[in-house]
Amino acid sequence: MDKTEWTLSELAAELGLTPRTIRYYISRGLVDGPRGAGRGASYDARHLARLREIQQLQSEGRMLAEVAQRAGRSDDLPTPEAWWRYPVAEGVVIEVRADLAPWRLKHIHRVISEAAKALKQEDRDDAEHGI
Amino acid sequence: MQSTGFEVRYADREEPIQLAMQRLWLTGQILPVGARLFVRHDFRHDEDQNLEVVYSFMLPRDAALRKFEVKGEGFEAHSELRRVEEAVREYEEGLEAGHLATLARSYRDGVVNLSLGNLRKGQDISVTLEVLAGVELTDSGLRFRFPFTIAPGYHAQARMIDTGAGGEIELPASEFGDVILPTFQRSAEGLHDVGFDLGLRVGEVSEISSPSHAVRMRKEDGAWRVSLSPAVDVPNRDLVLDVRQENAGVQILSGEKRFVLAVPSTQFGKSENGPRKVAFVVDRSGSMQGAPMAQAKRAVEACLAALAPEDQFGIIAFDDRVEPFEHRLCKPTAATRLHSAEFLSHINARGGTELAAGFAAGAKLVGEGGFVLVVTDGQVMGTEEILAQARAHNVRIFCLGIGSASQDRFLALLAEATGGVSRFVTPKERVDLAAVDLFASIAPPVAAGIELTGADFAVLPPATVHAGVPWVAFGERADPGEVTASWPGGRLTFNIPAPDPAVADAVRLLEGSRRITDLESRMTSAAEKSLEPQLVALSEEYGLASRACSLVAVVKQAGDEAGAPPLTRVVPVGMPEGTEFDSYFGAVGGALPSPPMVSAPAPDRAARAGGIVRRRAMEPTSPPRATRSLMRKAMDFMEGVIAPAPAQAPPAEDIVMEAEASLVYGDEEDRLLTLASSLEPDGGLPGTSPEDRALKTINALLLFCSEGHTPTQGVFRAHVKRMVGFLENLDGLSKDRGVIVGRVVEMVRAGDAKLAAGSGGALGWDELERMIGA
Repeated sequence: MDKTEWTLSELAAELGLTPRTIRYYISRGLVDGPRGAGRGASYDARHLARLREIQQLQSEGRMLAEVAQRAGRSDDLPTPEAWWRYPVAEGVVIEVRADLAPWRLKHIHRVISEAAKALKQEDRDDAEHGI
Repeated sequence: MQSTGFEVRYADREEPIQLAMQRLWLTGQILPVGARLFVRHDFRHDEDQNLEVVYSFMLPRDAALRKFEVKGEGFEAHSELRRVEEAVREYEEGLEAGHLATLARSYRDGVVNLSLGNLRKGQDISVTLEVLAGVELTDSGLRFRFPFTIAPGYHAQARMIDTGAGGEIELPASEFGDVILPTFQRSAEGLHDVGFDLGLRVGEVSEISSPSHAVRMRKEDGAWRVSLSPAVDVPNRDLVLDVRQENAGVQILSGEKRFVLAVPSTQFGKSENGPRKVAFVVDRSGSMQGAPMAQAKRAVEACLAALAPEDQFGIIAFDDRVEPFEHRLCKPTAATRLHSAEFLSHINARGGTELAAGFAAGAKLVGEGGFVLVVTDGQVMGTEEILAQARAHNVRIFCLGIGSASQDRFLALLAEATGGVSRFVTPKERVDLAAVDLFASIAPPVAAGIELTGADFAVLPPATVHAGVPWVAFGERADPGEVTASWPGGRLTFNIPAPDPAVADAVRLLEGSRRITDLESRMTSAAEKSLEPQLVALSEEYGLASRACSLVAVVKQAGDEAGAPPLTRVVPVGMPEGTEFDSYFGAVGGALPSPPMVSAPAPDRAARAGGIVRRRAMEPTSPPRATRSLMRKAMDFMEGVIAPAPAQAPPAEDIVMEAEASLVYGDEEDRLLTLASSLEPDGGLPGTSPEDRALKTINALLLFCSEGHTPTQGVFRAHVKRMVGFLENLDGLSKDRGVIVGRVVEMVRAGDAKLAAGSGGALGWDELERMIGA
C-alpha cells in the first residue's frame, strides 16, 4: 500500500532534503505546516507534491523568493517571473529577467546600451532625412 | 531585545526588522602563531512562536571549531563532537521533542551555520563558540583577522536576488548541501551589535593598530589587551589587528608535549634575486569597482618599476573573461612599461570572478617555476575547486587580497598550496604599498631542503623558507630539549622549554585546526567521499569540528513540550563595507534608462537610499588623529618607558585609536611610491647625464632610508636594492663623483644612520660629500 503520511525526517529523506530545509520553506510560506505537533506531526501527499514542485522550480533556476510569490495563489496561476523592462527607443522595449547574475546583467546592459544608441542614431538620421 | 527607545526597520518599507540574535562578542587570546577565541552569540526574540535561528559565518584562516557552551537562566550545557549525520539526527530529535537544540555545522568554503532551535519568546540564551584560528605572520609581526560579516561570493551557478528585505544568495545544493546564507542588508545599521576584547600573548610588542576599527588598548598583568572603542559596532567588516614586533626573534610556544616554532626568515639568511618570470593577474570583477580597482592598477605599476632588466613580466586582467596585456612575457623596458600602463588604464571593473581562469592564464604565461601575483577581492565560492586547479600549476601564487570582509582563509590557502605568500588588506589601507611589499618577497627561497631532528612531526614543516615570512613548525617531544633545523648552507638550534601552563593544549589545537583546514581545502566535489574518513579521523584526534564532524547540544528544560515546528529566522548581516550592494544584487546599469520591474513589485530605491530609521545611539567620537610614532609614544607612555611630567599626566588610562587609513600610511608613502614607480629599467632615476641620474638616485635613496627602507627591510626594499645596483654599475662618472657614489652604496648596505638623517631636502654633490665625509 502506498505511503500517505510521513514524519519530517521521513519526508526529508524521501526528497533528499534536510528537515531544517523543510522547516525553512514552511517559515517562508512556501509549504504548509504539518498536521499535529511534536512527535505526532505528520506530512501528507500534498506536502510531498509541493516540495517536489519547489525542487523542480529550483532546478529551472527559480529562487525561493520567486517561488514564495506563488504561495497562496490559485494553482491555476503560472509562477510569476520578475523582469526588468528597458524602453530603449520610441516603441521599443527590451525585457530582461531580473534575477540573472549581476555579471551577466552587466554584459546584457552593454548590449542594450549599444542597441539603444544605434536606434537613437537611426531615429536622428530619419529625422534629418524627414522620414 | 532591550528597549533602546529606537526601533529598527527595513529601510525600504515599514516592517520592523526582527532581530533574533542581539549581539556577537569576541574574546580570547592572540598567540604568536594563532589565536584561541571565544565568540559569544546572544539570542532573544519577542515573536509568539518558538524560533529556529540560523547564523551564518565564515571561518578565519586555518580555523576550526572546538566546542560551544549554551547558557540560559538556570542551565548550562556543552556541545559534543559527532559525525555530521549523527549530530543532525540528535539536533532534529531534540527539536521534535520540544527541547532547545544547538548545532554548529561547517560547509564548503569555511562557511558555518550555527542553528539554535526552539528558542522561546523572551528567553535569553547565549552560545559561546571556541574557535582556533591562524594569523597572518610576517618577520615583523602578525595580522589578526576575524570576520564579523560574510562576503557574498561569485559562483557560476549561484543565483542572487534583491527581495526588498535584503539580498539573497542561493547556491547549488549538489555542492553546498543545505547551507543557509544570511540575507545581506544594504546597511548594517540596526543589526546585531558586535564587539571584542582580546588579550595578546605574543612577546615584546612594539605597536598595535587596527585599520578596521577604533580600538582601546590597556595593559593588564603585563600583557596588552585590545578592545573596541566605542563599546559596540555593526557587522559590516572584519576586525583587523596589526601587531608589530621589533626584533621578534624566534618565538617558541611550548604546550603539553607539543611545541611550535616561529622563526623569522632573516635567521635563515637572505634571498638573492635571480631572473624572475612574473605574471600580474588583476581581478576586474564588479566587486572590485571603485578604489580597489584604482589601487590595484597603481600597485602593478609600482611593482613593474622594481623589476630587474633580466626579469620578464606579463599582465592578465580577468573577470569572467581573461584579457592579457600581451600573449607572451615582456622584458621590463621603458616601452613595455609605458604600454602596460596604457593597458592598465583601460581596465575597468565589470563581470564575475573566474579566478581560476585568471591564474591559469598567468601560469601559462610564466611557465613552470614562475611567479603569479594575484590582486583580487577573492569574493568567490566553491574555492576547493579553484585550489585544486592552482595546485595543478607548478607556479608560486602570491595573493594580495582586498576587502573588508574576509576571504582571507581562501587566499591564505591558495598561497600556501603553491608555496606563495598571501596578504589581505582592507580597502582603507594602501593596496599599492601592500602590493609592493608582497612583490618584494617574490624571490627564490631564502633556504631550501630544511631537515629537522630532535622531535616528531605529525606533518613535516615546510622544507623552504621565503623572505619576509617566518618559518613555522609544529612538533612533538616529551621533554624540553634541543631541536635542530639544518639545510645546505646553514643550521639553527632551538631550545624547547618546559611546557607553559598558560598555553595548555593550544599548540595541539592550533596544529589540528591547520591540518583540518588543509584537508578540507582538498575536498573538491570529486574528492569529498574519498577524503572524508581522513577528515573524521583528524577531527576525532584533535577534538575539533570539521565538514565531517559537527558540534551539537540538546538542553532539556522543565516545561519542554513538543509543539509546532519552530519558525526559521536567518540572521541578517550588512554588506561588507566598501562592497556595493548593487554589484551583487542590483540590476540597473549606469548609462541605461531606469527600468521598471514588471510582474514583481519594483523596489523603491529612493526610499531605500534614504536609509536608516534608527541612528546608532553610540556614534564614535572623533579621537585626535595620530601617526604611528604617536601610537608608539602612547604605548611607551603606558609601559612607563617615558615618564610623564606630572602636569602632563593623561586623563585616561587607556589609549584609544580611531581606525583611519591616514594612521597607517601618509603622504610620505605617496611620494615614495611615485619615486619607486619612476625608476628606469636599469634601477636609476631618470636624468640628463650619468651624474645627474646618480645624484637624483642618491637623493631618492636617502629619502627611502630615512623612512626605514633598506635593501633588506621595508616595503620598498626591492626598489632600494635596484637603486643600489644601479649606482654600483654606473659608468661615466668623474673619479670624485665615483668615490662619493661608492661611499653612499657602502653606507646604504651597512645601514649607516647618517644616511637616514640626510634627507632634509635635495642635496648637491658638495653637501653630499660633507655629509658622508668622503
